[in-house]
Amino acid sequence: MSRIKEFKLPDLGEGLTEGEILKWLVAIGDEVKDGQPIVEVETAKAAVEVPSPFTGVVTKLYYAEGTTVDVGQPIIAVDTAPGSGPIDAADDVAQDRARQAVQAELSGTAPPSSDVVDDNPDETIEEGKIGGKTSSGRTAVLVGYGIKDTKAVRRPRRDAALTPAPAKPHSDRDSAVTVADHASEVSAHPSAGAVKAKPPVRKLAKDLGVHLASVAGTGPQGSITRDDVQAAASTAMSASNGHLAPVAPSARRALDGPREERFPIKGVRKLTASAMVQSAFTAPHVTEFITVDVTEMMAMRSRLGALPDFAGLKVSPLLLVAKALLVAVKRNPMVNSTWDDAAQEIVLKHYVNLGIAAATPRGLIVPNIKDADQLSLPELAAALGALTAVAREGKTSPADMAGGTITITNVGTFGVDNGTPILNPGESAILCFGAVRDMPWVHDGEIAIRQVTQLSLSFDHRVVDGQLGSQFLADIAAMLHDPATFLAWS
Amino acid sequence: MAQITLGKALNEGLRKSMETDPKVLIMGEDVGKLGGVFRITDGLQKDFGEDRVIDTPLAESGIVGTAIGLALRGYRPVCEIQFDGFVYPAFDQIVTQLAKYPYRSGGHVRLPITIRIPFGGGIGAVEHHSESPEAYFAHTAGLKVVACSNPVDAYFMIQQAIACDDPIVFFEPKRRYWEKADLDTAIHPDPLWQARLLREGRDVTLIAYGPMVKVALDAAAASDKDGGPSLEVIDLRTLSPLDMDTVLASVNRTGRAIVVSEAPSNCSIASELAARITEKAFYSLEAPVLRVSGFDTPYPPSRLEEEYLPDLDRVLDAVDRSLAY
Repeated sequence: MSRIKEFKLPDLGEGLTEGEILKWLVAIGDEVKDGQPIVEVETAKAAVEVPSPFTGVVTKLYYAEGTTVDVGQPIIAVDTAPGSGPIDAADDVAQDRARQAVQAELSGTAPPSSDVVDDNPDETIEEGKIGGKTSSGRTAVLVGYGIKDTKAVRRPRRDAALTPAPAKPHSDRDSAVTVADHASEVSAHPSAGAVKAKPPVRKLAKDLGVHLASVAGTGPQGSITRDDVQAAASTAMSASNGHLAPVAPSARRALDGPREERFPIKGVRKLTASAMVQSAFTAPHVTEFITVDVTEMMAMRSRLGALPDFAGLKVSPLLLVAKALLVAVKRNPMVNSTWDDAAQEIVLKHYVNLGIAAATPRGLIVPNIKDADQLSLPELAAALGALTAVAREGKTSPADMAGGTITITNVGTFGVDNGTPILNPGESAILCFGAVRDMPWVHDGEIAIRQVTQLSLSFDHRVVDGQLGSQFLADIAAMLHDPATFLAWS
Repeated sequence: MAQITLGKALNEGLRKSMETDPKVLIMGEDVGKLGGVFRITDGLQKDFGEDRVIDTPLAESGIVGTAIGLALRGYRPVCEIQFDGFVYPAFDQIVTQLAKYPYRSGGHVRLPITIRIPFGGGIGAVEHHSESPEAYFAHTAGLKVVACSNPVDAYFMIQQAIACDDPIVFFEPKRRYWEKADLDTAIHPDPLWQARLLREGRDVTLIAYGPMVKVALDAAAASDKDGGPSLEVIDLRTLSPLDMDTVLASVNRTGRAIVVSEAPSNCSIASELAARITEKAFYSLEAPVLRVSGFDTPYPPSRLEEEYLPDLDRVLDAVDRSLAY
């Protein structure tokens, strides 16, 4: 560090570029103190007394009175350690070199500054110039005191108890709260009224079927933690297993009733039975299974539902399965045909009457959507909605059930994964759609929680070969897995 | 590869845009002969002439109004608003004309105008020189708003903004103009409308933009050094539209989010992020989204600005508050 300090003409107002030296208030050899006025400078706006930022002895005044000086030019040199012997020659040389660089730049003789990079901007930006350092160690700007360097170190904290607990694994984040002021808040405000729990805990409770209102919270401010929910869930589980709690009265057999009851076989039950027997014992059934990640399709449902075309309509997973089946039929037409044993012919249907197996108060029925292959997706949704509503009311007519060509049975609504369905008589294929579950699944090379379902297809092996049946089922699965494939084949 | 300051990177980016497209003009107060109060346009008038680098009168409304006229005639103006607090006279032109003209014309008329605004405090300046007005513009449909935080982004984002056919308000972190970084001009830059994950962490996501990115990174490093929580840092880069995919992916991982911004928190970018994160990642949130911001006061006199500006300690205090839930 040089003991000779130069003071450069600062910007005395906003955007000032030059000033005139009106009057020197010190002479060479004078002692100056930090803050002592040394020069009077006239700017475009006013005459200003400029104070010295250094304490020492004036060694040089660079300009005579009456000279106009550019901002950033050195105007005075001060020896800040006048008592410490002769001035080092190197000191002077360094000063001169720096000064020459400044003057060269101002007079336009400096090398052009259009290089993409400054190899060492520290050296090219002079102290006091924009981007250089100020006397107080800030970065100089044209307007303002300059930019202060910040320290990337945390200040000491007042209270050691406020130091956060070291990062904990996710699973026990709730119980890891050790902050002192929270503990006092808990005692000061005992939990009352609405349940306190953070969102992921609420989700967990919902998933486990735990009612938060019945759980006592042990977390901060009386909030319910994951552990509380899990404890409540396991208590409920063991209660329902009957080991600890008595069986609910409604589930108990009436001791005074008959031990058996007999019902006449009639109506839908009788029809169902004969159809199933006929089908099972005439068509040789083959059933194949496929498990598919339908996360994207499930996400697509809500976007579809938001479209004006689906206003008032339900975009159910079944709707998309139905649509996928219709598209797959187009690609594999032979599955939509009938074995006509009497005529010794296979009847290929160029239309699809899509049967939907429905559990009704009257029993299992299979109404079908006529010419379903001709319907747009919103029309199909409307038809599906109408079919379900009519079936639920028990008003399905025999005409609604006649003429089916292929069927879907949606056992997923009962929470089961899949089955081996029996063909609706006269048809060659039936698709069984299982429950969509959150499952661990390998996605993009990693285990992830994905929405996964299982599909199975029973087909009449007289008409449909293993290859065709497999292709048909794989096509449906591919479309349900990837909406883009769905779109491409539709 | 050598180091370059953020200010110089902007200068080089502007130069590159002017070389690439002869329709690019620069206009503003003192941008020509002086090279701008922060020297961002230094040397450009000398090399491209007074017709392409235009010293305007001190009239921001006129600068933007004239730019709109020039854009209608096929030019691609880059306006410099000298300081954040000077933009308000131009607010009428920006909101009622610039943002709406493309809509008014059914998209037939495009206004490829970039408005550069040095923003934020930290330079010890007087009032009107340290504000963070980005929310006004993000709130206005028809404008895009971006903020760079480092020299590499500054170099590429200014060129991408100028090349964009929509009006863009381009915020520059003035207290970071002299921050340096290695710049390789040959790399393929990220798209303009994408936030960037700068640092991975497990416990809390810090979301920042412009001058606060450095504060967030410093806080994450300090926490790491102290053996404290592991902090993830996202540089938003684009304020309108917001890149929620990047933000939500992070928050879904960490379960905690803190937005760091110099602007007052009331109706701010930080507030908008808090609302969207709560809406889209509700079941992932272990704590409410916290905002570390300037206070809801006018920007204070410079001797008080260190109290006003979010710093490493305020960020880490918020981290403690978040983890206490």
